[in-house]
Amino acid sequence: MTRSTENRILATPLVLFLLVMLGFPTILDIIYSFSEVSFENLRSPTFNGGRNYISILNDPEFWSASWFSMKFGLATAFAECILGLVLAVYLAPIIRKNTWMIAVLIMPMMIAPAMMGLMYRLLLHEFVGALPHYMFYWLGDSPAFLSRENVFTTVFTIETLQWTPFAFLLFFMAYEAIPGEMREAAAVDGARGLRMFWHIEMPMMLPTIAVAFFVRFIDGFRVFDNIFVLTGAGAGGATTSLSIYIYLSFFRSGEIGNAIAASVILFCVSFLALFFAGRLLRRSGA
Amino acid sequence: MRTVRKLFYGGAASALLLATSIAQADVTVLGWPGGPEETALRAATEIYNARSEVAEDDKVKLIFFSRDGFFDKLQADLAAGTDAFDANLLATYSIGRYAPYMTPVSLSGDAADVFGESVLKTMQFDGKQYGVPTDLSLHFLYYRTDLIEELLADESAAAKYGDISEKHLGVRLEPKSPDDWTWQDFAANALYFSKSVNPDSPTRYGTVLQLKNLLFNIMVFHSLPRSYGADWMDADGNITVDSDAYREALKMYKILVEAGATPKDSFSYEYAEANSAFGSGQVAAMIQWNAAAADLTDTEKTPVTADVTKTIAPPTGPDGRFTHVHGLGLGVNANGKNPDGAKAFIEWLSTEDAAKAYALAGGATGLTSSVVSDIANERPDLVPLGEYASNYGFVMNGGTSAKALSVYELQAKEFTDYLSGGKSLDEALSATKDGMADLLN
Repeated sequence: MTRSTENRILATPLVLFLLVMLGFPTILDIIYSFSEVSFENLRSPTFNGGRNYISILNDPEFWSASWFSMKFGLATAFAECILGLVLAVYLAPIIRKNTWMIAVLIMPMMIAPAMMGLMYRLLLHEFVGALPHYMFYWLGDSPAFLSRENVFTTVFTIETLQWTPFAFLLFFMAYEAIPGEMREAAAVDGARGLRMFWHIEMPMMLPTIAVAFFVRFIDGFRVFDNIFVLTGAGAGGATTSLSIYIYLSFFRSGEIGNAIAASVILFCVSFLALFFAGRLLRRSGA
Repeated sequence: MRTVRKLFYGGAASALLLATSIAQADVTVLGWPGGPEETALRAATEIYNARSEVAEDDKVKLIFFSRDGFFDKLQADLAAGTDAFDANLLATYSIGRYAPYMTPVSLSGDAADVFGESVLKTMQFDGKQYGVPTDLSLHFLYYRTDLIEELLADESAAAKYGDISEKHLGVRLEPKSPDDWTWQDFAANALYFSKSVNPDSPTRYGTVLQLKNLLFNIMVFHSLPRSYGADWMDADGNITVDSDAYREALKMYKILVEAGATPKDSFSYEYAEANSAFGSGQVAAMIQWNAAAADLTDTEKTPVTADVTKTIAPPTGPDGRFTHVHGLGLGVNANGKNPDGAKAFIEWLSTEDAAKAYALAGGATGLTSSVVSDIANERPDLVPLGEYASNYGFVMNGGTSAKALSVYELQAKEFTDYLSGGKSLDEALSATKDGMADLLN
């Protein structure tokens, strides 16, 4: 038996598994996205051409949800990367001596996002939450954290607090991986502090920063759990992310064809974004 | 070895017993899992199965699955033509979704005397009875007796109350007992007991409105527009959501929101948050589901306000006093294996004896005053339930249609958009009307 035949035989179970577990739902999704389908006719959907796609693309709520997801994904990824970078560089000397601190700092990542939403639902509640309680106690008033005006800031802050540790962890590893000789050589040439960071350390960490940004952007873009638990779709749909839009269309409105068409669009856009991001990274030598 | 043999025989005996009971139970009923509904159904089923006139082939077996996504799973099962159960749970707002897969039922001759017409209506669709009502949900007005007594006794407070109502509502009102309240009195009371309007108020807020973009919150809201004559559709099927009644109701809510008479974060509030607010002692009155009464009047669960909390029917409006009502019940699966057995069980459940047995076992059954009086000592909480359901209960025209839930969803989105300042009233009502026309016509 040749090596390539052996490889094929060994890979067959995995390929079959992927075909069944991913291929079948994908094909079904594509069929449903071009069909009139509801819970009543799941087994016999009616082909309706591209009507679901037209309906989705003409739906202002789809665009508003896409805009929310885009804004949320970019803002949280940016904030998490900045904060993570600051923490990694600033705390690196302390953590080198106290490695247990890493475990404490990445603790928020251990909490399921839905639980995080639930936790903040309690924490921010005016009558049972600790935060409003102390704000009333000390300042005589407490802001409406989940009002239409403040809700984006609140969910942005919650997401950033939970996932900054992820960026921090990656950046700390990248920072520690910079060879000591490089720093020594730069120091001999007179580089210190900020100059050392901008011209030596930062360029070496750039590929990690780009990867962290993309991972966090994707995670932020597809946000669902914590926002849904905290505010649902929001007053007038103010916190409807694309994932929430798809969920509501599918389960609440029973518009299965539309929901799946929206998810196919989301898949295609994500695929293109990742494809070009990958090419960009490869070109920049990441 | 002896232990192993014992285990073997024990296991075999249990399996045999289980197999026998399954073989005997030829009517399978899918119930609402957990809570008093399951307990009550189990008790009623035991009584039914013990009756000598029930044939072995018609004995009832109960099955349950999780509440998570219950109605979606049920719909998928029914649409697939399942015969795994002969009778299943129904809810008022989803009957229309299930009606194509269900068979209308005949109830006992005295069903109207047992439940009353408005309660029976919660299980009707297209003029046909699809199920027997077992449990009811409606709304109470919860208020603080201590605050009201103090207000009624204080003449200077009455003057201030009048000034506030005149300024915010455009009409001078006097404090009244909550049982005599119109919705304007409710609003005036809410404003008077809010610190943002009346800095001397003993409570931070006069009321708590549940304004999260959620269909159940719109059900809570509906009692108000209905008392001004609102309906979803007229007799000809025209959508009437842009009526003056809806406008009056939404404007009243808007006044309360803008005046700070409801907590700032009300747009994220639903059932639990509203209960917490009321139970904290910082809210004077609220409209809430009847299910909250047990907790809010229990001194252990709500120590701050339970002693001074009272419940009555929601306030009245120009068209009368109303409360949204919806029910849970049981109907017959058209594809079940034993539809006749299921029909017989459901018919029995609609008799006076069965309804009383169900209620005594913990069910929240809506019973007429003549029936509930027999069990008033054991279940005093059911007295107002049946009375309010019979006298004030309503279901919107279209409220049991296939798309009823989507209508509630749509209204939740558009109305919260208006109330939170995202849209004007005209824009919100116009979008609601267009959406409802698509859903209901």
